[in-house]
Amino acid sequence: MTDLHELDELLRAEEGDAGCDAGVPILDQYVELELRGEDPSERFPGTAIHLRVCPGCRADHDGVLEAARRFGDPGPE
Amino acid sequence: MSVRRPSAATPGRQSAPASRRWVEQLRPGHPLHDEAVATLHDVLRRAALHELNRRGALAGPERVDVAQQCAGDATMKILARLDDFQGLSRFTTWAYKFVVFEVSNKLARHAWRHHPPSAEDLTWEHLPDTLAPRPGEQAERRQQLAVLARAIEADLTPRQREVFVAIALNDVAIDVLALRLDSNRNAIYKNLFDARRRLRASLAAAGLPLSEEEAHA
Repeated sequence: MTDLHELDELLRAEEGDAGCDAGVPILDQYVELELRGEDPSERFPGTAIHLRVCPGCRADHDGVLEAARRFGDPGPE
Repeated sequence: MSVRRPSAATPGRQSAPASRRWVEQLRPGHPLHDEAVATLHDVLRRAALHELNRRGALAGPERVDVAQQCAGDATMKILARLDDFQGLSRFTTWAYKFVVFEVSNKLARHAWRHHPPSAEDLTWEHLPDTLAPRPGEQAERRQQLAVLARAIEADLTPRQREVFVAIALNDVAIDVLALRLDSNRNAIYKNLFDARRRLRASLAAAGLPLSEEEAHA
């Protein structure tokens, strides 16, 4: 694990990363843009960068996306 | 419970009928309040169970029990924050977010209780074997790793070093480390981000940049 790419990954820190907290309030909107086939990075570029780097937030994002896809939008009745 | 399947064409549309009905019926005093709460809990319980399965976490009765707890806690939080729902997404997508966060939090606490990071996981000694230079490797690569090791030792703050060593070198999960350090995910991530930036700068300053951009900075 010593080539340049792997070292670059180990030290990955991208300009414009919005951090973890910024994604919390908009994660549902982010996921729905994906469900509509739109590119969420246009509206939420900082969170798109963050989700590429932060495994914790990426797991949460993947979970919400998977739930929305699998369980859909049931009504309360 | 009657479950209505979503329309793929409508996610995110403001004031979607199902979302409006959720919010109305979940309000205290609505004649269908109790039924709506029970339905929401059931939807979230199934989502939590699926999420635990997706993450390969827990098994058997423990998984079922934790899913139940996640659904209960998420339902309580949703009811308390009903006025925060602005209709910018479907209500259910907004609700799934709550239960997925509950799953994350509970799994981190479970890992913290059963497999807490050791002192060694947080302590800088040397680069792991997977990063050690191999015989015959280019001199520049060996130099890069030597500079990196020196920079971890000398250029990071104690907190940056602790976080970088635990997460980047020893694969400690960020949420578990946050519990260990009595912090939160965002603060730990900021420490990690700053540590990585500092180490990249140290490599660039030593004439060993990792990117073209850093070479010309």
